[in-house]
Amino acid sequence: MDESYDVVVIGAGFGGPVAARKCALAGLKTLLLERSARPGEKVISGLTIPFYGFLFGPDFIRDGNPPIERPVDGIVNYIVKDIERGDIEVDDSLRIPRPLSPVLAFGYNAYCRPFCQWEADRAVEAGVELRTSVTVTELYREDSRVAGVITEDGKVIKARAVIDAEGSQALLAVKAGVRKKYPPDVISLADVYDYRMDKDRVDRILGFSNRFVWAWDEQRLAPPLGFGNGLMVWPYRESIHFMQDQCLKMERGGKAPNLARLFREYHRNITSKLPWWRDEIAPHAELRAHMWDSFEIYVGLDGELRKMPMCANGLLIIGDAAGLESTELCDGVPAAWFSAELAAETAIEAIFGGDVSERKLRKYQMRVESHPLIRWSISGTNRYDLRYAQKSHDIRLLRKCVHNGWGVGAFTHASTPLLLTALRAIQENPMVITSWLRMFPRYFRNWLFESFDPLSDDRPEVFRCDAYKAPKSTPGESTAAGGVPEHSSVVTEALAGPGTGGSAGVETLGTEEPSSVVATPGDPLKEARESRSFSSNEVINDAPLRGWETQTGSQISGGTLLRMAQKGLACLDGLVFMLGPALSGTAKLMEPLARLANPVATAALPVVEVILKGWRRMEPLLEPITERITRLLVESR
Amino acid sequence: MERSTGGVVWWGETGEFIQVNNTHCDGCGDCLRVCLGGCFALREGKAVVINLESCMECAACWYACEKGAVLYGLPKGGTGFATEYG
Repeated sequence: MDESYDVVVIGAGFGGPVAARKCALAGLKTLLLERSARPGEKVISGLTIPFYGFLFGPDFIRDGNPPIERPVDGIVNYIVKDIERGDIEVDDSLRIPRPLSPVLAFGYNAYCRPFCQWEADRAVEAGVELRTSVTVTELYREDSRVAGVITEDGKVIKARAVIDAEGSQALLAVKAGVRKKYPPDVISLADVYDYRMDKDRVDRILGFSNRFVWAWDEQRLAPPLGFGNGLMVWPYRESIHFMQDQCLKMERGGKAPNLARLFREYHRNITSKLPWWRDEIAPHAELRAHMWDSFEIYVGLDGELRKMPMCANGLLIIGDAAGLESTELCDGVPAAWFSAELAAETAIEAIFGGDVSERKLRKYQMRVESHPLIRWSISGTNRYDLRYAQKSHDIRLLRKCVHNGWGVGAFTHASTPLLLTALRAIQENPMVITSWLRMFPRYFRNWLFESFDPLSDDRPEVFRCDAYKAPKSTPGESTAAGGVPEHSSVVTEALAGPGTGGSAGVETLGTEEPSSVVATPGDPLKEARESRSFSSNEVINDAPLRGWETQTGSQISGGTLLRMAQKGLACLDGLVFMLGPALSGTAKLMEPLARLANPVATAALPVVEVILKGWRRMEPLLEPITERITRLLVESR
Repeated sequence: MERSTGGVVWWGETGEFIQVNNTHCDGCGDCLRVCLGGCFALREGKAVVINLESCMECAACWYACEKGAVLYGLPKGGTGFATEYG
């Protein structure tokens, strides 16, 4: 007898659990399938989730405590004109100034593994059945309808609707003929390095800003980059993340460059030539992981590829699998969240309406295509200009592109979609306003105390122990990469050896029971939560302060101010509640005006920049206020 | 200084999830060049998979091969690479 569910979601990455949770909350019997042993452990990204992902994304993330690594207040762009002479320009116009900065953030850096696990935990809490270590090999069809999935052991799991969140390769959708394999010129390969570094040092050197580096091709510093890309450095809590990426081929049918050699050369150059990396980071950073993954960055820019269907009879495709990677910011998570919610809504409507045909599900594609932020993020053409600037050595154009893409100029093209999405959210539920306001200080405080929700499946011993072996060399073979990369390790033999001590994580991953790791709703999570002390108030008060906020030393008692702020928020809650219908109405009326936001932002940009520059000058003077705000948040329990 | 402490692990019997179809392969070597794991080699003018123990399942080989000679699947559930720091 085949198993049967209302909805089967394939893939517990960023989008899958969101869709699954929504379906389960609507009362549908939902199964979430994941091919790795623990959610998120095969997800690779240098990850900043921008603020709009959190604000307009799923409410359980906005109102929850996901494990974030660091709030990000902006981007510092380095335009390298001549590395040998140290001729480097800096554009840090996109940065929230102090004292707003660490609390108000443009985004949050996170590791994928814990974040996906956290999302999957929330899905399980909502009643989703999560099955890990299960690879789906094919979509199961009845006539022309997708009616379930077939797993690797040949078992059929039937479903009334399948939500496909398998990631950028979309193998299942390609196999089923719904989508086509992407050509190599729209695919970028990201080479990611993770370095461990002391938190104090990360605070001091990188602070809360991501760093992007742009350079001419012949400096061999940042990869020549398909359509113009750079090199990115993200500060995390106690580590930094480094990513360089390049298109697999510059044109269809062309020859692929030797990426292994290129990446190695660029990485060597950047770490030994770029002054701040060479002097301040290289001596103190310890490489702990080297990873790579491909992502479908330019799909949105190709009309043919963008038009590929995101749904079929009984099937909805979300996130990266639907080609929703942001061409502008290389960030697919917000689009994955938005599309996951839209897919879940459509699936719920269709299932309760008793019709899951393609005709009904096509509504999902229309919703995705009309979502202002998704549309904006997959159709940014700034990278073409950037590539042209790099090819033609046009420094003015490069400056402009960097400023408009990753500087404050981004608001000249982002403000309309942002405003539209905000207005639509307010129309739906005006109370979201206070939820937005609460999110930033809560995330910041949680970051400060590391008081995130505990994960049901914490890091297994194997990731901490010394059971790693040097990679096997492959003698006698002429490989392009020149053997196995330096930093990979093979743990299969080590697992069998006595060194690992038979930790729990290893047991679960054993090969005897490949599909038996089933998380039941409730118990393990509850236990984990009760065993962790973060949720109790006394402990938070006693928690030692970490990093830069301990050095302030001043004993500001902000109780009164804070109580006032909290009362203010409570008043605002009441006010928003009373004004709810009026706010909704206003948002609706303002919607046509939102189209003007881009030109207005463009016109106001020079003024804004002058104001921001003045504010930056004042920042040292404002430092005591920053300290005070931090104190307030610290004492706010 | 840089030192690897191995934040990436590979485990289990993955099965041969990447294969090369010899009739389609013309030995252009694109798969070799884009593979950062060094999983491919050329033998008698044809690409062969020599090692999947450093494969990060990025599918770059699959994308790069426009002749459709690289057959890409997924490793068995719970096997293949895993990382905490992705």
